[in-house]
Amino acid sequence: MTMGIGGAGSKLAFLYDGEATIVNVSEAELSKLPAKNRILAVVHSATGQLRGSRKNPQIGREAFLSIKREMLAQICGNLVFSSTGGGTGNGITASLLDDLAHRETVPAGEKTAFVLLLPYAKLEPAEFIDNTIGFLRGPLSQAIDSGNTGNIFLFTNRLKFESKLSEQDYNAALIESLKVFMAIPRKGESFRLLDGHVDYEDFDLYLSKPYFNHFTYFHYDPEVDFQKQLEANLNPYLLPPEKPIEALFLLEVPAGGDPTLFYDILSHFAKDNVTPVYSVVENPELDKPFVTVSLLYSRKPAELVDDFNRVSHAHTQAKVRKSLEQHVPLPVLRVSLESEAKRQGKQQGADEAEILTVLRRLGKL
Amino acid sequence: MEQLFKDQVDGLQEAHFLVLYWVTTAEDRKLRYNITNCFDDLKSLRITRTKQTAAAVVEALRALRFIDVRDEGNRRNIYITAYGARALEALVLRRAFAVKKSAFLEV
Repeated sequence: MTMGIGGAGSKLAFLYDGEATIVNVSEAELSKLPAKNRILAVVHSATGQLRGSRKNPQIGREAFLSIKREMLAQICGNLVFSSTGGGTGNGITASLLDDLAHRETVPAGEKTAFVLLLPYAKLEPAEFIDNTIGFLRGPLSQAIDSGNTGNIFLFTNRLKFESKLSEQDYNAALIESLKVFMAIPRKGESFRLLDGHVDYEDFDLYLSKPYFNHFTYFHYDPEVDFQKQLEANLNPYLLPPEKPIEALFLLEVPAGGDPTLFYDILSHFAKDNVTPVYSVVENPELDKPFVTVSLLYSRKPAELVDDFNRVSHAHTQAKVRKSLEQHVPLPVLRVSLESEAKRQGKQQGADEAEILTVLRRLGKL
Repeated sequence: MEQLFKDQVDGLQEAHFLVLYWVTTAEDRKLRYNITNCFDDLKSLRITRTKQTAAAVVEALRALRFIDVRDEGNRRNIYITAYGARALEALVLRRAFAVKKSAFLEV
């Protein structure tokens, strides 16, 4: 089962799975999607139920308390979608991660994989960046350290803003990309197996590992070095990967194709002491080999936070500058140290001359 | 004796200079400058925090015959002497210290 938290998370989850459960603090937001399963997180102000969380994760955290038991029961072994910039997604997901981080152990089959959508720091509001920094630095970091989460997919809005895509198109492309990766066990089951094996159980076990997951897919050319092909085809929707700790790939070859192509891919990973889980199948619909590959890597959240911090700092400076320009008409003060020194010297000389004049006037000299 | 006078002036510090200056200014403005005014000014400029130090500065100048301290009514007013004028002149020409404003004289 799939769960989407907050506005962005709900849209993604519903695109991925029409049976997804969506969660929000706003009834109006919940009703925008024709999802069958909806959970309204209750959070009140003096004027009644809030209709949003004002980009404030604290509101999401308070709202989580009203649905904690229901959510924790539903996320076991499932996939949770959320954005890290807003208030609801960030706050509720952060609370979920806090809860997971403080458990002793979570069995492999019950681990939750998280699909997180990060803001594009250059163009999205500063609040989104600040919220994301807090999220990466705190709850996500602790949850990864605890080992109680499954894979974490770090999607980014970078391509959306750089290519000026509509949200609908971008989300659809992002979800299609995720579906290609998630289809690995189904393809393993439905196509003729040529080598290796990745069944549903293997795939679930892989998904339950507490690392960041960068997956990608491309037509594989056995004449070109695999590393070069991988670098040229990194998934543009995800943050770029670090050196892998574990890997998984599915190689689909056309009917009558060479079933031994995968050895070159294994050799590539062997250089990094990684032994991938893999499967080679025959896909009669293809005319060229096609590979779907996933890299599990550990990336310190501090490194991600550093990237965000740099942009956040620039945002803050720009905000202060704007505020000054708009509200405080400060004249530009030009100080010439040379002329100021001359003025001071002259002033001092005047005082001295005056003292002597006074002393003479008083008849003391 | 000139060397003695020079050595005496060399030994003066900023507080002494300021007292000589303020006393001169006060006299020029027909005002009376007393030990309490002196303490208030030195304190507001953070040169001293105690009245004893202010009194010591005044006493040193009096001992050197650079000032006269006269009991007038219930005040001990300070007046610069001819020696004090020469000492102040020497300090001014030497540019030993910068002039600072007296709160009493500014009001």
